[in-house]
Amino acid sequence: MEEPRNFSDIDGGHLALQRRCYSPSCREFCLSCPRLSLRSLTAATCSVWLAAYGLFALCQNSMVLSAAIFITLLGLLGYLHFVKIDQETLLIIGSLGIQMTSSYASGKESTTFIEMGKVKDVVINEAIYMQKVIYYLCILLKDPVEPQGVSQVVPVFQSAKPRLDCLIEVYRSCQEILAHQEVTSASS
Amino acid sequence: MVENSPSPLPERAIYGFVLFLSSQCGFILYLVWAFIPETWLNSIGLTYWPQKYWAVALPVYLLITLVITYILLFGINMVNTSPLDSIHTVTDNYTKNQSQKKSQEKAVPALKDIPISEVNQMFFIAARGLYTKS
Repeated sequence: MEEPRNFSDIDGGHLALQRRCYSPSCREFCLSCPRLSLRSLTAATCSVWLAAYGLFALCQNSMVLSAAIFITLLGLLGYLHFVKIDQETLLIIGSLGIQMTSSYASGKESTTFIEMGKVKDVVINEAIYMQKVIYYLCILLKDPVEPQGVSQVVPVFQSAKPRLDCLIEVYRSCQEILAHQEVTSASS
Repeated sequence: MVENSPSPLPERAIYGFVLFLSSQCGFILYLVWAFIPETWLNSIGLTYWPQKYWAVALPVYLLITLVITYILLFGINMVNTSPLDSIHTVTDNYTKNQSQKKSQEKAVPALKDIPISEVNQMFFIAARGLYTKS
Protein backbone atom coordinates (compact mmCIF):
# COMPACT_ATOMS: atom_id res chain seq x y z
CA MET A 1 0.00 0.00 0.00
CA GLU A 2 1.25 3.49 -0.76
CA GLU A 3 0.02 6.71 0.76
CA PRO A 4 -2.26 8.87 -1.39
CA ARG A 5 -0.55 11.46 -3.57
CA ASN A 6 -2.09 14.82 -4.37
CA PHE A 7 -2.75 15.95 -7.89
CA SER A 8 -5.17 18.35 -9.52
CA ASP A 9 -7.74 17.96 -12.25
CA ILE A 10 -8.11 20.11 -15.35
CA ASP A 11 -10.23 22.71 -13.54
CA GLY A 12 -7.83 23.01 -10.61
CA GLY A 13 -9.80 20.84 -8.17
CA HIS A 14 -7.99 18.55 -5.76
CA LEU A 15 -7.53 14.86 -6.60
CA ALA A 16 -5.88 12.09 -4.60
CA LEU A 17 -4.29 9.14 -6.37
CA GLN A 18 -3.63 5.94 -4.44
CA ARG A 19 -1.66 3.19 -6.07
CA ARG A 20 -1.78 -0.39 -4.80
CA CYS A 21 0.52 -3.13 -6.07
CA TYR A 22 -1.06 -6.49 -5.32
CA SER A 23 1.45 -8.57 -7.28
CA PRO A 24 3.98 -8.01 -10.09
CA SER A 25 1.19 -8.32 -12.62
CA CYS A 26 -1.71 -6.69 -10.76
CA ARG A 27 -2.08 -3.02 -9.85
CA GLU A 28 -4.92 -0.77 -8.83
CA PHE A 29 -5.20 3.03 -9.14
CA CYS A 30 -7.85 4.84 -7.08
CA LEU A 31 -8.55 8.43 -8.01
CA SER A 32 -10.82 10.30 -5.63
CA CYS A 33 -12.66 13.28 -7.08
CA PRO A 34 -13.24 16.60 -5.32
CA ARG A 35 -16.22 16.43 -2.99
CA LEU A 36 -19.48 18.31 -3.52
CA SER A 37 -18.67 21.78 -2.19
CA LEU A 38 -21.02 23.54 0.20
CA ARG A 39 -20.67 26.70 -1.85
CA SER A 40 -22.07 25.20 -5.05
CA LEU A 41 -24.85 23.42 -3.16
CA THR A 42 -25.89 26.65 -1.42
CA ALA A 43 -25.72 28.57 -4.69
CA ALA A 44 -27.92 26.06 -6.51
CA THR A 45 -30.48 25.91 -3.70
CA CYS A 46 -30.63 29.68 -3.33
CA SER A 47 -31.07 30.26 -7.05
CA VAL A 48 -33.90 27.71 -7.30
CA TRP A 49 -35.65 29.16 -4.26
CA LEU A 50 -35.22 32.76 -5.42
CA ALA A 51 -36.72 31.86 -8.79
CA ALA A 52 -39.62 30.12 -7.04
CA TYR A 53 -40.18 33.13 -4.79
CA GLY A 54 -40.15 35.41 -7.82
CA LEU A 55 -42.74 33.16 -9.49
CA PHE A 56 -44.81 33.17 -6.31
CA ALA A 57 -44.67 36.97 -6.19
CA LEU A 58 -46.06 36.99 -9.75
CA CYS A 59 -48.83 34.42 -9.50
CA GLN A 60 -49.56 34.31 -5.71
CA ASN A 61 -49.87 30.52 -5.75
CA SER A 62 -48.20 28.93 -2.73
CA MET A 63 -47.93 25.56 -4.50
CA VAL A 64 -44.93 27.05 -6.34
CA LEU A 65 -42.94 27.27 -3.10
CA SER A 66 -43.62 23.71 -2.01
CA ALA A 67 -42.91 22.52 -5.55
CA ALA A 68 -39.55 24.31 -5.41
CA ILE A 69 -38.62 22.55 -2.17
CA PHE A 70 -39.64 19.21 -3.68
CA ILE A 71 -37.66 19.86 -6.85
CA THR A 72 -34.56 20.84 -4.85
CA LEU A 73 -34.70 17.66 -2.77
CA LEU A 74 -35.33 15.37 -5.72
CA GLY A 75 -32.69 17.14 -7.78
CA LEU A 76 -30.08 16.73 -5.05
CA LEU A 77 -30.88 13.04 -4.63
CA GLY A 78 -30.79 12.44 -8.37
CA TYR A 79 -27.51 14.33 -8.70
CA LEU A 80 -25.88 12.30 -5.93
CA HIS A 81 -27.11 9.03 -7.36
CA PHE A 82 -26.61 9.53 -11.09
CA VAL A 83 -24.08 12.29 -11.64
CA LYS A 84 -21.66 12.88 -8.77
CA ILE A 85 -18.80 10.41 -8.90
CA ASP A 86 -16.75 10.12 -5.71
CA GLN A 87 -14.01 7.74 -6.71
CA GLU A 88 -12.77 6.12 -9.89
CA THR A 89 -10.66 2.98 -9.86
CA LEU A 90 -8.61 1.30 -12.55
CA LEU A 91 -7.60 -2.29 -11.79
CA ILE A 92 -5.18 -3.86 -14.24
CA ILE A 93 -4.49 -7.58 -13.97
CA GLY A 94 -1.79 -8.64 -16.40
CA SER A 95 -3.12 -11.96 -17.59
CA LEU A 96 -6.81 -11.28 -17.16
CA GLY A 97 -7.91 -7.79 -18.16
CA ILE A 98 -8.65 -4.24 -17.09
CA GLN A 99 -11.53 -3.23 -14.84
CA MET A 100 -12.85 0.30 -14.35
CA THR A 101 -15.10 1.11 -11.39
CA SER A 102 -16.92 4.36 -10.71
CA SER A 103 -18.50 4.81 -7.30
CA TYR A 104 -21.15 7.49 -6.98
CA ALA A 105 -21.83 9.69 -3.96
CA SER A 106 -24.96 7.73 -3.06
CA GLY A 107 -22.98 4.49 -2.86
CA LYS A 108 -23.83 3.15 -6.30
CA GLU A 109 -20.97 1.50 -8.17
CA SER A 110 -20.74 0.86 -11.87
CA THR A 111 -18.08 -1.47 -13.26
CA THR A 112 -16.72 -2.18 -16.70
CA PHE A 113 -14.37 -5.05 -17.49
CA ILE A 114 -12.30 -5.45 -20.65
CA GLU A 115 -10.47 -8.73 -21.14
CA MET A 116 -6.78 -8.64 -22.00
CA GLY A 117 -7.27 -10.33 -25.37
CA LYS A 118 -9.12 -7.26 -26.60
CA VAL A 119 -6.71 -4.65 -25.22
CA LYS A 120 -4.17 -3.33 -27.70
CA ASP A 121 -2.57 -0.62 -25.58
CA VAL A 122 -3.11 1.99 -22.89
CA VAL A 123 -2.09 5.43 -24.13
CA ILE A 124 -2.33 9.11 -23.22
CA ASN A 125 -4.28 10.85 -25.96
CA GLU A 126 -4.93 14.54 -26.54
CA ALA A 127 -8.31 15.79 -27.71
CA ILE A 128 -10.39 18.92 -27.87
CA TYR A 129 -12.87 19.07 -24.99
CA MET A 130 -15.25 22.09 -25.03
CA GLN A 131 -12.87 25.03 -25.38
CA LYS A 132 -9.72 23.28 -24.12
CA VAL A 133 -7.32 20.62 -25.32
CA ILE A 134 -6.88 18.02 -22.60
CA TYR A 135 -4.77 14.92 -22.05
CA TYR A 136 -6.66 11.81 -21.06
CA LEU A 137 -5.80 8.18 -20.57
CA CYS A 138 -7.55 5.73 -22.86
CA ILE A 139 -7.56 2.02 -23.63
CA LEU A 140 -7.22 1.08 -27.31
CA LEU A 141 -9.05 -2.07 -28.31
CA LYS A 142 -7.84 -4.45 -30.99
CA ASP A 143 -9.53 -4.70 -34.35
CA PRO A 144 -10.51 -8.33 -35.06
CA VAL A 145 -10.23 -7.72 -38.81
CA GLU A 146 -6.91 -5.91 -38.98
CA PRO A 147 -4.08 -6.83 -36.60
CA GLN A 148 -2.45 -3.39 -36.54
CA GLY A 149 -5.63 -1.36 -36.37
CA VAL A 150 -7.59 0.13 -33.50
CA SER A 151 -11.28 -0.62 -33.34
CA GLN A 152 -12.38 1.41 -30.32
CA VAL A 153 -11.12 4.02 -27.89
CA VAL A 154 -12.27 3.72 -24.25
CA PRO A 155 -11.41 6.76 -22.14
CA VAL A 156 -10.79 6.18 -18.41
CA PHE A 157 -11.04 8.60 -15.47
CA GLN A 158 -13.73 10.49 -17.37
CA SER A 159 -15.21 12.40 -14.46
CA ALA A 160 -12.01 12.90 -12.49
CA LYS A 161 -10.08 14.26 -15.50
CA PRO A 162 -6.61 14.43 -13.98
CA ARG A 163 -3.76 16.47 -15.43
CA LEU A 164 -0.73 15.17 -17.26
CA ASP A 165 1.50 14.52 -14.22
CA CYS A 166 -1.02 12.12 -12.72
CA LEU A 167 -1.64 10.50 -16.10
CA ILE A 168 2.07 9.89 -16.66
CA GLU A 169 2.29 7.99 -13.35
CA VAL A 170 -0.64 5.76 -14.22
CA TYR A 171 0.62 5.32 -17.79
CA ARG A 172 4.07 4.18 -16.75
CA SER A 173 2.69 1.66 -14.26
CA CYS A 174 0.28 0.27 -16.84
CA GLN A 175 3.03 0.01 -19.46
CA GLU A 176 5.21 -1.97 -17.03
CA ILE A 177 2.43 -4.49 -16.57
CA LEU A 178 1.61 -4.66 -20.29
CA ALA A 179 5.26 -5.14 -21.22
CA HIS A 180 5.58 -7.85 -18.57
CA GLN A 181 2.44 -9.45 -19.96
CA GLU A 182 3.79 -9.44 -23.52
CA VAL A 183 7.03 -11.06 -22.43
CA THR A 184 5.23 -13.85 -20.58
CA SER A 185 2.75 -14.45 -23.40
CA ALA A 186 5.55 -14.50 -26.00
CA SER A 187 7.55 -17.00 -23.99
CA SER A 188 4.61 -19.32 -23.25
CA MET B 1 0.66 30.53 -65.71
CA VAL B 2 -0.95 33.74 -64.55
CA GLU B 3 0.09 34.19 -60.94
CA ASN B 4 -2.46 35.39 -58.39
CA SER B 5 -1.24 38.29 -56.30
CA PRO B 6 -3.15 40.85 -54.27
CA SER B 7 -1.22 43.81 -55.71
CA PRO B 8 -3.16 46.76 -57.18
CA LEU B 9 -3.83 46.61 -60.92
CA PRO B 10 -5.62 49.04 -63.28
CA GLU B 11 -8.47 46.55 -63.78
CA ARG B 12 -8.93 46.26 -60.05
CA ALA B 13 -9.07 50.04 -59.71
CA ILE B 14 -11.90 50.11 -62.27
CA TYR B 15 -13.78 47.32 -60.48
CA GLY B 16 -13.40 49.19 -57.21
CA PHE B 17 -14.70 52.45 -58.67
CA VAL B 18 -17.70 50.74 -60.30
CA LEU B 19 -18.49 49.05 -56.98
CA PHE B 20 -18.19 52.37 -55.15
CA LEU B 21 -20.50 54.19 -57.59
CA SER B 22 -23.11 51.44 -57.62
CA SER B 23 -23.16 51.12 -53.83
CA GLN B 24 -23.59 54.89 -53.44
CA CYS B 25 -26.44 54.83 -56.01
CA GLY B 26 -28.05 51.91 -54.25
CA PHE B 27 -27.91 53.72 -50.93
CA ILE B 28 -29.45 56.94 -52.39
CA LEU B 29 -32.17 54.85 -54.00
CA TYR B 30 -32.91 53.12 -50.68
CA LEU B 31 -33.16 56.49 -48.90
CA VAL B 32 -35.47 57.85 -51.61
CA TRP B 33 -37.69 54.79 -51.37
CA ALA B 34 -37.84 54.94 -47.57
CA PHE B 35 -38.44 58.66 -47.04
CA ILE B 36 -40.39 60.08 -49.98
CA PRO B 37 -44.15 59.66 -49.37
CA GLU B 38 -46.13 57.14 -51.42
CA THR B 39 -48.31 59.80 -53.03
CA TRP B 40 -45.34 61.77 -54.38
CA LEU B 41 -43.87 58.60 -55.89
CA ASN B 42 -47.24 57.74 -57.43
CA SER B 43 -47.54 61.22 -58.97
CA ILE B 44 -44.16 60.76 -60.70
CA GLY B 45 -45.37 57.44 -62.06
CA LEU B 46 -43.56 54.91 -59.83
CA THR B 47 -46.52 52.86 -58.62
CA TYR B 48 -45.18 49.30 -58.40
CA TRP B 49 -42.45 49.71 -55.80
CA PRO B 50 -42.42 47.42 -52.72
CA GLN B 51 -44.16 48.44 -49.52
CA LYS B 52 -42.28 50.80 -47.22
CA TYR B 53 -42.66 48.19 -44.46
CA TRP B 54 -39.73 46.36 -46.03
CA ALA B 55 -37.47 49.43 -45.72
CA VAL B 56 -37.47 48.79 -41.97
CA ALA B 57 -37.99 45.03 -41.95
CA LEU B 58 -35.07 44.01 -44.18
CA PRO B 59 -32.32 45.67 -42.10
CA VAL B 60 -33.78 44.09 -38.96
CA TYR B 61 -33.85 40.67 -40.63
CA LEU B 62 -30.23 41.15 -41.70
CA LEU B 63 -29.03 42.06 -38.20
CA ILE B 64 -30.83 39.13 -36.59
CA THR B 65 -29.33 36.80 -39.21
CA LEU B 66 -25.87 38.12 -38.34
CA VAL B 67 -26.36 37.50 -34.61
CA ILE B 68 -27.72 33.99 -35.22
CA THR B 69 -24.82 33.23 -37.58
CA TYR B 70 -22.28 33.86 -34.82
CA ILE B 71 -24.10 31.56 -32.42
CA LEU B 72 -24.79 28.95 -35.12
CA LEU B 73 -21.16 28.83 -36.22
CA PHE B 74 -20.02 28.25 -32.66
CA GLY B 75 -22.63 25.52 -32.29
CA ILE B 76 -21.69 23.80 -35.57
CA ASN B 77 -18.06 23.76 -34.48
CA MET B 78 -18.95 22.14 -31.20
CA VAL B 79 -21.13 19.53 -32.91
CA ASN B 80 -18.38 18.63 -35.38
CA THR B 81 -15.71 18.17 -32.69
CA SER B 82 -15.08 14.48 -32.17
CA PRO B 83 -16.00 13.27 -28.67
CA LEU B 84 -13.29 11.84 -26.43
CA ASP B 85 -14.24 8.23 -27.18
CA SER B 86 -14.17 8.64 -30.95
CA ILE B 87 -11.74 6.63 -33.07
CA HIS B 88 -11.06 9.78 -35.12
CA THR B 89 -8.89 11.22 -32.35
CA VAL B 90 -6.38 8.43 -32.96
CA THR B 91 -6.50 7.32 -36.57
CA ASP B 92 -7.84 8.09 -40.02
CA ASN B 93 -8.82 6.41 -43.29
CA TYR B 94 -5.47 7.36 -44.76
CA THR B 95 -3.40 5.72 -42.05
CA LYS B 96 -5.04 2.36 -42.67
CA ASN B 97 -3.81 2.28 -46.25
CA GLN B 98 -0.39 3.81 -45.84
CA SER B 99 2.60 2.04 -47.30
CA GLN B 100 5.11 0.33 -45.04
CA LYS B 101 8.16 0.82 -47.27
CA LYS B 102 11.48 1.08 -45.48
CA SER B 103 13.23 4.39 -46.02
CA GLN B 104 16.53 4.39 -47.87
CA GLU B 105 19.75 5.52 -46.24
CA LYS B 106 20.51 9.25 -46.53
CA ALA B 107 17.10 9.94 -48.03
CA VAL B 108 14.39 11.99 -46.38
CA PRO B 109 11.85 9.48 -45.04
CA ALA B 110 8.36 9.56 -46.50
CA LEU B 111 5.64 11.38 -44.63
CA LYS B 112 3.50 8.96 -42.67
CA ASP B 113 1.51 8.64 -39.50
CA ILE B 114 3.35 7.44 -36.41
CA PRO B 115 1.13 5.15 -34.29
CA ILE B 116 0.06 6.69 -31.02
CA SER B 117 1.62 3.88 -28.96
CA GLU B 118 5.04 4.72 -30.38
CA VAL B 119 4.56 8.44 -29.76
CA ASN B 120 3.61 7.75 -26.15
CA GLN B 121 6.64 5.53 -25.61
CA MET B 122 8.86 8.24 -26.99
CA PHE B 123 7.38 11.05 -24.89
CA PHE B 124 6.68 9.44 -21.57
CA ILE B 125 9.01 6.50 -21.19
CA ALA B 126 12.13 7.19 -23.22
CA ALA B 127 12.47 10.87 -22.34
CA ARG B 128 11.90 10.72 -18.60
CA GLY B 129 13.16 14.20 -17.82
CA LEU B 130 10.88 15.93 -20.30
CA TYR B 131 7.65 16.05 -18.33
CA THR B 132 8.57 15.24 -14.74
CA LYS B 133 9.86 18.12 -12.69
CA SER B 134 10.98 16.18 -9.62
